Amino acid sequence: MGGRKGFFTDTTLCIGCKACEVACKQWNQLPDDGFHFTGMSYDQTAHLGASTWRHVAFVERPVPLQGQMSGAGDFSWLMMSDVCKHCQRAGCLEACPTGAIVRTEFDTVYVQPDVCNGCGYCVSACPFGVIDRREDDGRAWKCTLCYDRIGDDQTPACAKACPTASIQYGDLDELHARAESRVRDLHQRGVTDAYLYGKDAENQPGTGGLNAFFLLLDKPEVYNLPPDPVVPTKKALRSWASVAMGAVGMVAVALGAVSFGREGRG
Amino acid sequence: MSDDTLLDRLQRKADGRNIDTRAGILEGEGAQQRVKDPEPVRHGMDVLPTVPSRSGPDSEGAPSYYGMPVLKEPLWIWTVPAYFYVGGVAGAASVLGVSMEYLGGRRLERLAGRCHAVATAGDIVSAGLLIHDLGRPSRFLNMLRVFRPTSPMSVGSWVLAGSGAVNTAAFVLRRMPGVLGVMGRTAGMVGAVLGLPLAGYTAVLVSNTAVPLWQQVGRTLPLFFMASATASAGSLLSLFPHTDAEERVLRRFRVAGKVAEVFTREAVELEARQVVEVGKPLRTGVSGALWTLSRTCSLAGLVMDVLPGRARWKQVTADVLSTVGAVAARYAVIQAGRASARNPQATFQGQRQGLGAAQVEGNTKASDGKPLSFPLPVLGQPQAGMPYARFMVTQPEP
Repeated sequence: MGGRKGFFTDTTLCIGCKACEVACKQWNQLPDDGFHFTGMSYDQTAHLGASTWRHVAFVERPVPLQGQMSGAGDFSWLMMSDVCKHCQRAGCLEACPTGAIVRTEFDTVYVQPDVCNGCGYCVSACPFGVIDRREDDGRAWKCTLCYDRIGDDQTPACAKACPTASIQYGDLDELHARAESRVRDLHQRGVTDAYLYGKDAENQPGTGGLNAFFLLLDKPEVYNLPPDPVVPTKKALRSWASVAMGAVGMVAVALGAVSFGREGRG
Repeated sequence: MSDDTLLDRLQRKADGRNIDTRAGILEGEGAQQRVKDPEPVRHGMDVLPTVPSRSGPDSEGAPSYYGMPVLKEPLWIWTVPAYFYVGGVAGAASVLGVSMEYLGGRRLERLAGRCHAVATAGDIVSAGLLIHDLGRPSRFLNMLRVFRPTSPMSVGSWVLAGSGAVNTAAFVLRRMPGVLGVMGRTAGMVGAVLGLPLAGYTAVLVSNTAVPLWQQVGRTLPLFFMASATASAGSLLSLFPHTDAEERVLRRFRVAGKVAEVFTREAVELEARQVVEVGKPLRTGVSGALWTLSRTCSLAGLVMDVLPGRARWKQVTADVLSTVGAVAARYAVIQAGRASARNPQATFQGQRQGLGAAQVEGNTKASDGKPLSFPLPVLGQPQAGMPYARFMVTQPEP
């Protein structure tokens, strides 16, 4: 046991059945989000949140799928089951001031509910907008990659429930190999749009690679994924340098004001 | 359990969950969450009149997922921007207090004492404001559970707690004779050293997030916050009655702060404006109005202060204006950050223009393999009914 685990989500296989959403809710005993229609597509969950750890996006496109003839004119659906990315450099983990967010022995990112303070800093620090705080209990929640299941050598609920193997769980190295061969296969069949999103540090330097990575067919923006995300900490040094500059200025102003003001010239 | 049947045991083995299904106890990860309102207010969007998603050739430039935000909005309540102001004042006051104690001589002793009082009170009020945001006092202590250098909030909690402790010690012990007095004055020195990051770290706190506007202004915002803290502390101290000798010091301190505030504010604007969608909240909406109000008040405060004539009413008006300007600036920055987090194009366009990971890592390709260095193509006039019309104005402002 142990070792680096993750998800490979192959969106070309997703049929939008939302079994992953339901399985996740059921296993983790998450409350419902209320029953309402978003009015934009079959996507009624709209986004990942504190009580939604898997979310199926429905992208309705005015273009046909590459290499396919559509009977309904220029039209195609893309579906993607979105989830916490469990970044190699996680914005939430680096921002958490209480140590509530930890990296587990499976290389996943886990929020300890009994330590979380509810300061909400992780929410703004996630470049993917995954983690969220619940109003009522004041703590931050997100996908645990079924930490309680994988500890018992079981497959996470969403991957277990996926009927098309769109969500694949396993050792990261194995998933990488599988994903690469899938992309090669798709390219050979004429779907040259297929590419991997966030596979490793080379693929997405801003996060050092994602433990939950995706095979996509259109721009990341279309799936509501940022095109070039960066863990905010990577840019923090320049801000601290500015603070140092400001500190020098403030000391100079204070010393100057006193030494020039005390003599009574003025 | 003793009365388990073989079937029960087999079922439990296959089930694998950590719950006793017969007792019906929920122990899953999210089981402690409760449904508050089973039929919550509908926060979905209105039904779109057109084909909802536009991606592919039709909107090559600015696709998005039905205009949904990528990021979650910051959750902080009104006490956090208030803390940004109060903490800044406390930090700057402790720096001025110690400079006066060592350079000022006897005539400035009373003002030095007042600086320490303002710094101590500021630290206590700051802690109160933060506790109000967190919900209960024990959560502030929880912040001191670990020290994490990568988290400005952790660093800041330690700075605030430390500065509160030493400033209180300085305030109480400073005038005492002997060892206690030396300890008090040393504590005052430490308080001034901690006051510098206390005035500036709040800017790092907001810029160390994924919120597009805050991340964008990471270089200039700390300078603006620290200049503004200097101006605010000077203005606040000048509002108390003081002697002519004290006025000469205070005047130099606050005018320098106000001038720096005016210049650094422009720098913040310039840095934000590199990406059109990112800079927008500083010009439009509630946040834009607050930012304009803050700019106007700060400028008016500076002008009133440097105009000839030393009437007391003029100086009080100038200081009140500067204070309003400084407070409004904090609320404007928070509000504008919220607005930029709501706008997916603020996230996308900044990253497409090479201001995401490319800025620190030097990668030239987006995750879909397209080069990053080219800005998004400027689209034609957005037509009414186009779902992304409001995000499609990519013409730079004149």
